[in-house]
Amino acid sequence: MGTDLTGPETPMSEGKNTLGKQGEPDFQDPRVVLSVLEADQLVAAKRRTHFGRRELSPGIRILFWGLRVYVILMLIIVLLSVLRALHGVS
Amino acid sequence: MSNSREITGRSAAGPGNPTTESSVVPASTRELDELVTHEDVDRARDRWKVTQGRAALARRRRLGRFSGLWLLWLLIGPGVLVFLGENDAPSMLTYAATGARFGVGFFLPFTVLTFLMGFVVQEMTARLGAVTHRGHAELIFDRFGSFWGFFAMGDLVLGNFLTLVTEFIGVRAGLGFFGVRPALAVGGALLGVLGAIMTGRYWTWERITLALALFNGLFIPAALLAHPAWGQVGNAMLTWQPLPRGDGNEILLLLLATMGATVTPWMLFFQQSAVVDKGLQPRDIPAARLDTLLGTVLATVFAIAAILATAPLFQHGINAADFQTAQFAQALEPWIGRFGAALFALGIFEAGIVAAVTISTSSAYAFGEVLHSGHSLNRPVRDAWPFYLTLMGSACLAAGLVLIPGAPLEFIILTVNVIAVLAMPPALAFLLILVNDRELMGEHANGFWGNLGGVSVGLVLVAAGLMFSLATVFPRLLRT
Repeated sequence: MGTDLTGPETPMSEGKNTLGKQGEPDFQDPRVVLSVLEADQLVAAKRRTHFGRRELSPGIRILFWGLRVYVILMLIIVLLSVLRALHGVS
Repeated sequence: MSNSREITGRSAAGPGNPTTESSVVPASTRELDELVTHEDVDRARDRWKVTQGRAALARRRRLGRFSGLWLLWLLIGPGVLVFLGENDAPSMLTYAATGARFGVGFFLPFTVLTFLMGFVVQEMTARLGAVTHRGHAELIFDRFGSFWGFFAMGDLVLGNFLTLVTEFIGVRAGLGFFGVRPALAVGGALLGVLGAIMTGRYWTWERITLALALFNGLFIPAALLAHPAWGQVGNAMLTWQPLPRGDGNEILLLLLATMGATVTPWMLFFQQSAVVDKGLQPRDIPAARLDTLLGTVLATVFAIAAILATAPLFQHGINAADFQTAQFAQALEPWIGRFGAALFALGIFEAGIVAAVTISTSSAYAFGEVLHSGHSLNRPVRDAWPFYLTLMGSACLAAGLVLIPGAPLEFIILTVNVIAVLAMPPALAFLLILVNDRELMGEHANGFWGNLGGVSVGLVLVAAGLMFSLATVFPRLLRT
């Protein structure tokens, strides 16, 4: 597991021309916001762009259906166990 | 994947981004003003602090050798919150039950193991959020379609609502120890949830909730007042002995509940959405890992403290089989004193209220992502009212149920962690496929060890579920 927190420098660390009071940039300037966030971190970008559907292979479909059946069966089992406990049947 | 070249910010660091422009924005100031929202501005402020912290660390200036800690302070949050949030009322009561029923032994290392399972899974969600900048529900709907998406949401909604009910049971029981009336306790907790979300700022919400979550540590002094035999604790950790003895069905139920106390679907949805809301980026993945590890370690220590705090009940032969929510603190009073019992009760209250905040937020994030409406704590209420309405609505509904006279609250507590374990394998399958999707994750996709860990956790959960079903259908199978 890596523990280096530094990573590469980003443009804002040199953004002296947009500094406001107390050295903080003026965030009312949209260019400042755009220079700090990644392109698809913007709300507008997320609204307009979506990751498309991936092709589900037969193996993945079988896995999904199998797990769905598993969950439904398990919920029935839980219901059975609760009903038993409610009626004090062992 | 669909693409857009209209919006350009700083260059994205990986293929997780549908837009990968790196140039300066070729748009007029007016267009830019319309493009950037209040939510973006708040997130940019947080990112700017991180950038400054990172620069200070690189130069070793400003805070000198503490620069690393400062940067970590800025970046931690979702990982610690998710694990301390999952140390919720039913989970702490499960740990208390194992301590009271089986004392110091097998369940100590088993609890550590379940938290390791939790770490393996949660690390993946943090990575997924930092690379794609999308919440878990949104990614499932985008990549697998609404048919499978609604199934995943169904599991989440059912699990979250039942768990939320148990949190308010914990709040009610914890404050009940001090003679606070149920309506007052539950109403106060709702106000607490409301107060946390009304800040209109993810950062403030995160720090308030983190501060509250650290009170999970109240179980440590409660455990110390129980004067644990440390030699026995060390021996149990190394040898997994003594093994639990007695009714096999009860042991199995506690095994499942202990697993459900650390690995649940809401955790996946919450941490990924919180990572996105915090604005973490691929370069923050090492910090996100540390955050998750820190949460794992803290939650493990507090969980073990809860087991040790109730171990005197086992040593003195007190039958805890039929204990209800509030009775652990009362039963402990002769052994750890009034102060220790009060700490235990406060710990249950705290566990309930923190989890009520995180779980209702998890539901709200997921709904917002699916409905494509605003879903950020950086948004004011007027801009994202469906998000806040879902958050408070689910909390109010769960709180209301707790106040209904004669509601089967104890059954809900007993089964909620079990349901969490049973619903986890499909959630884990979605997660593993997403985190292996190189189109989304690029170089940050899972490697061999990540997949081995993830698949192993999935197989353990499926095996536990199958054993539970066998024991339910054939109740005499495990009875001694």
